[in-house]
Amino acid sequence: MTDRGISRREFAKSAVAIGGTAALAACLDRGAPDVPEGADDPASLPARQHAWNDALATDDAGNPRMAHHHVLLLLDYEGDGTPTDADRGQVEDALRSLERAYEWSSDGLLFTLGYSPAYFDRFEAGPAGVEVPEPEALAPFEDPAFDTPDALLHLASDHESVVLAAEEALKGTKESVNDHEMAATFEGVFGVADRRTGFVGGGLPAENQDVDGIPDSEPVPEDAPLFMGFKSGFEGNQATEDRVTVDSGPFAGGATQHLSFIRLHLQQWYEQDSREQRVSKMFCPAHADEGKVEGVGENLGTDSAIDECPEDVVESGRREGVVGHSQKLSRAREDDSPTILRRDFDSTDGGEAGLHFLSLQQSIADFVATKEAMNGTDVSENSAVGQRTNNGILQYMTVERRGNYLLPPRSLRALPPADPA
Amino acid sequence: MDRRRFLASAGLAGASLVAGCGSFQSQSTRAPPLVENRPDGTYRPTHVEGMGMAGMAEAGDYMVGFGYSFPHRFWTVTGTDAERVDIRDADSVHLMATVWDPETEMVLPISAGVSIAIERDGETVDEKSPWPMISQNMGFHYGDNYELDGDGLYTLKARVNAMDERRLGPFAEKFSEAAEASVEFDFAQSALDQLSYEEFPETQGERGAVDLMSMEMMPTSQTPVAGELPGTLLGTKKGSDGVYAATWLSEADFLADGESYLAVSARTPYNRVPLPMMSLDGSVEAGGETVFDDALTAALHPDLGYHYGAVVETTGTDPSVGVDVVAPPQVSRHEGYETAFVGTPSFSF
Ligand code: HEM
Repeated sequence: MTDRGISRREFAKSAVAIGGTAALAACLDRGAPDVPEGADDPASLPARQHAWNDALATDDAGNPRMAHHHVLLLLDYEGDGTPTDADRGQVEDALRSLERAYEWSSDGLLFTLGYSPAYFDRFEAGPAGVEVPEPEALAPFEDPAFDTPDALLHLASDHESVVLAAEEALKGTKESVNDHEMAATFEGVFGVADRRTGFVGGGLPAENQDVDGIPDSEPVPEDAPLFMGFKSGFEGNQATEDRVTVDSGPFAGGATQHLSFIRLHLQQWYEQDSREQRVSKMFCPAHADEGKVEGVGENLGTDSAIDECPEDVVESGRREGVVGHSQKLSRAREDDSPTILRRDFDSTDGGEAGLHFLSLQQSIADFVATKEAMNGTDVSENSAVGQRTNNGILQYMTVERRGNYLLPPRSLRALPPADPA
Repeated sequence: MDRRRFLASAGLAGASLVAGCGSFQSQSTRAPPLVENRPDGTYRPTHVEGMGMAGMAEAGDYMVGFGYSFPHRFWTVTGTDAERVDIRDADSVHLMATVWDPETEMVLPISAGVSIAIERDGETVDEKSPWPMISQNMGFHYGDNYELDGDGLYTLKARVNAMDERRLGPFAEKFSEAAEASVEFDFAQSALDQLSYEEFPETQGERGAVDLMSMEMMPTSQTPVAGELPGTLLGTKKGSDGVYAATWLSEADFLADGESYLAVSARTPYNRVPLPMMSLDGSVEAGGETVFDDALTAALHPDLGYHYGAVVETTGTDPSVGVDVVAPPQVSRHEGYETAFVGTPSFSF
């Protein structure tokens, strides 16, 4: 994935990170979970592939809680030219097999299949009614590589064995999953160009902190859902699924998807910054002054109380010398709601602490505007806040890769034409 | 703990046993206790350390030099609080990157900063973005303590980001692109141990500063003597131990007709090290009218150095100027600077 060589820490990987039938077997040896079966009639599932919120568990406060384990497969279409109907049928059959085998939930399996600008290049024009631009660098201080597979499959479940088994079944190395036979696989239609994995949820980051980017003092709190030690994704700080759904044209019911891979460098964060500095930089200095955030932030309930952070971020930065990540990002709201739905998770891919930042939005332009708010260049140009120092959490991350995709509605998820009308 | 580091530290424990008591110099001897009752201003630190050169290289419009020394304690600054960073057992060196303009030899404080990765045999040994930092003897640089894997050849890779500070005159077209540079760094603990190390038991804690180092290979950051700033010097004021020189330019190649320029050069006392990353407000009255009342913007000019300035729509030559420090410099501090420049004074010129 990078030219950084083989990590020193490959030996401490989780089963999902390793992948393959051996990892699946090892994982099942530790006890096979009882996984609910899926729908007899997959047509009864929601029309939106990204309709996950109702299928997710909720936390104590009532926020939708992301599934714990994730696999991302970057796929290349193996056929020449435009996809054939036979290939479409094969992809659809394979996905329906998974839907029959597993309940559409985080206790079962959730997935999406999206398509890149590179995929649509084989047609005469881009996807009808939706802009899916090539990825680009989104800050002067980043230099990402660009993902250009044809498709992106995202598998998510609370059970490691479920994402592993679903992956193996699609690759054709496993004939049945959850006692359901696969009617078809991706064999001959999709080849895997890259495989990425991750996790999110209380306890998992602490268990997986033996990686580059996190100091040996094991600083990640036991109950933290993410490596940086705070809870994220409160219901009140997310766009709704409606907000991120494409509302017209043949791809209505779909959404755009952005995936970046961000490496984290958390030695300064944990061993140099104080708790106050961390809260200032993640939320806002007012939250730090008032002790608003306890532990990982469960006490915040269903929103990060961002309305208690000064709204004029440049002015606040000028006075405080620091601005918070959520404080900056809340500037990208429209009608008082964020425009992107974050479904990000941590990663130890390559032996490095990282984050697969996956988000859904109606248009990639919503993501670009949100990321611009995060850059805080206006804050640094006009105040004591640096372009990365004291500027949210920019000091602690490097964006390594970016890719853009279209998630078609479920009815068009199998190798869609650019203009299905 | 990863295997390699475990082996390295096991080796070290073995060595100290063989060496017996007393002869093994540990890092703690290089960080004497802090001065008690530190004054609220620049003071002479407990000690200074020499610096070794790790290498230098061109990166786009920039030159980058890497120096190293013993791991240091230092303070990061958030708002008006300075937070002490202690030396960890794992720290091997304090690494300093200095970025300068090869033409004017001016050291450039870039708010977007520098990222450093240390590699050995294709593996990343340590990686982080050093803090923008000021030190009495090293001036402005980017620094932090880094962890190495013992003696040997390392590659230091730096990415210097584009400047988003306003650039004036001959600098207008420069430093707008990020650039990368790498140097080979042959590290030997014995060479580090031979760097000078001087304590000041008699004078530590006194108001004052140790001198800026002069180096053959790298420039150090220094703002011009107030009297040598271009334009008409409006005065020099002191507050929270920072020195503020205000100058008024009625003419400059970057000004249009009818415009003047207010520049405030903020620097440390004694050594004139620039104080970057501040929020300043300025107001200008000329001919009985307020002609400017707004934020001053960080800017760079070959003759003015790093400063905070504003273009003012007036041809008045005898302005009265007010300057408020809204936030102190958010640069990290080496010992002797951590209690200075953390207040928010106001001045009039
Ligand atoms: C290491 C990476 C990141 C971490 C640990 C992180 C963490 C957080 C946390 C703790 C919050 C506040 C709680 C919440 O609102 O859910 C937040 C808010 C937010 N973050 Fe991030 N974040 C990261 C990266 C990003 C990126 C790359 C983006 C997009 C460019 C982003 C967009 C947002 C948005 C839109 C909000 C909500 C703002 C609002 O309330 O309007 N985050 N993040």
